[in-house]
Amino acid sequence: MIDDIANADTIPVLERLVQFAGQRHRLIVNNIANFDTPGYRPVDVSVESFRNQLGEAIDDRRGRRPDGKLNPIDSEQVEFLDDGMVLHADPIGENILFHDGNDRDLERTMQDLVENFMTFRTAAELLRSRMDIINSAIAERI
Amino acid sequence: MTDPLGLIGSIDRQLPPLPGMAGRPQDGPGFKQALNEQIAKVNELQRDAREAIEDLASGRRNDIESVLIATQKADTAFKLLLQVRNKVVDAYDEVKQMRV
Amino acid sequence: MYGALDTSTSALVAQRTRLEISAANIANAQALTNAAGEYEPYRRRFPVFAAGDPATGSPNGVHVASIEIDQGPLVPRLEPGSPYADADGYVKYPNVNSVIENMNSLEASRAYEANIAAIEATKSMMSVALQILA
Repeated sequence: MIDDIANADTIPVLERLVQFAGQRHRLIVNNIANFDTPGYRPVDVSVESFRNQLGEAIDDRRGRRPDGKLNPIDSEQVEFLDDGMVLHADPIGENILFHDGNDRDLERTMQDLVENFMTFRTAAELLRSRMDIINSAIAERI
Repeated sequence: MTDPLGLIGSIDRQLPPLPGMAGRPQDGPGFKQALNEQIAKVNELQRDAREAIEDLASGRRNDIESVLIATQKADTAFKLLLQVRNKVVDAYDEVKQMRV
Repeated sequence: MYGALDTSTSALVAQRTRLEISAANIANAQALTNAAGEYEPYRRRFPVFAAGDPATGSPNGVHVASIEIDQGPLVPRLEPGSPYADADGYVKYPNVNSVIENMNSLEASRAYEANIAAIEATKSMMSVALQILA
């Protein structure tokens, strides 16, 4: 019964999204910090692959029992843990613009920062609203 | 034991109409059925919202605003139902305490 | 999230160091003697960045690994009357190019602001995460 609460509705899905955005934020921040470091190659993970992994796990869960546990499958870049995840980032970008090996694209990096932040915030707010509704039902009070 | 009103007996048996009320038309669908319909509607709204969130998370759709609106509708409907349910339970408690 | 704050802060420190080195270069662009008064034209300094933050031991972040002295050629100017002139009448001046120093300062400022923006994003994310509880 208690497990059902933890896995209810879209909570496990939103949880994974929040974790992903949180981890990716650290990646992006490190890219920004090393913007001028010679020889540093900016790294990132593929957001699209992660969303596909999530989609597959969602479909699988719908097939079994709609409020069952979400079991996402690891990929090369995203490793799922019980209460978090580990990202293995790869260097991005093929262009070598500067001869010190760094490929600087500040505007795109800042855009990534903002987009990722919005994903984090949307997922976290939705997560909170889901939990609020469950709390309402438990307390029998709005 | 006399039973002039015919009240003692099977609870499934329809009560005979009280004197003076014989001409009243039959009631509509009934409260229980109406409540069940509303529960089903809230369930459907919640399911739609849930699918919308899952599609948003997996990248199958990217219109955040529609998902947020669907979620809000479902949640408001749920809260309304919760309040109605509370009122019904309160009314039942009150009736239960009536001394006959 | 605190790791992300450390990362950004290390970048702020590194970029500010870079700005200060640039400012020192500009200030010493005409310095011909060292602190002891001997003839030793100032040579341009430049920072070498490296990934990692020794202050926290983390592989993330950036730090100034060393401050190197630019061994490039000094700038000769024709000043026959100067006590520092060589046999041909040229005096060697510091190899500080103000255009290059300005560009470096601009880049350092830009990077500094980008890291400030990153810190703001980190702060907002921490607030949002807290709201899940409250």
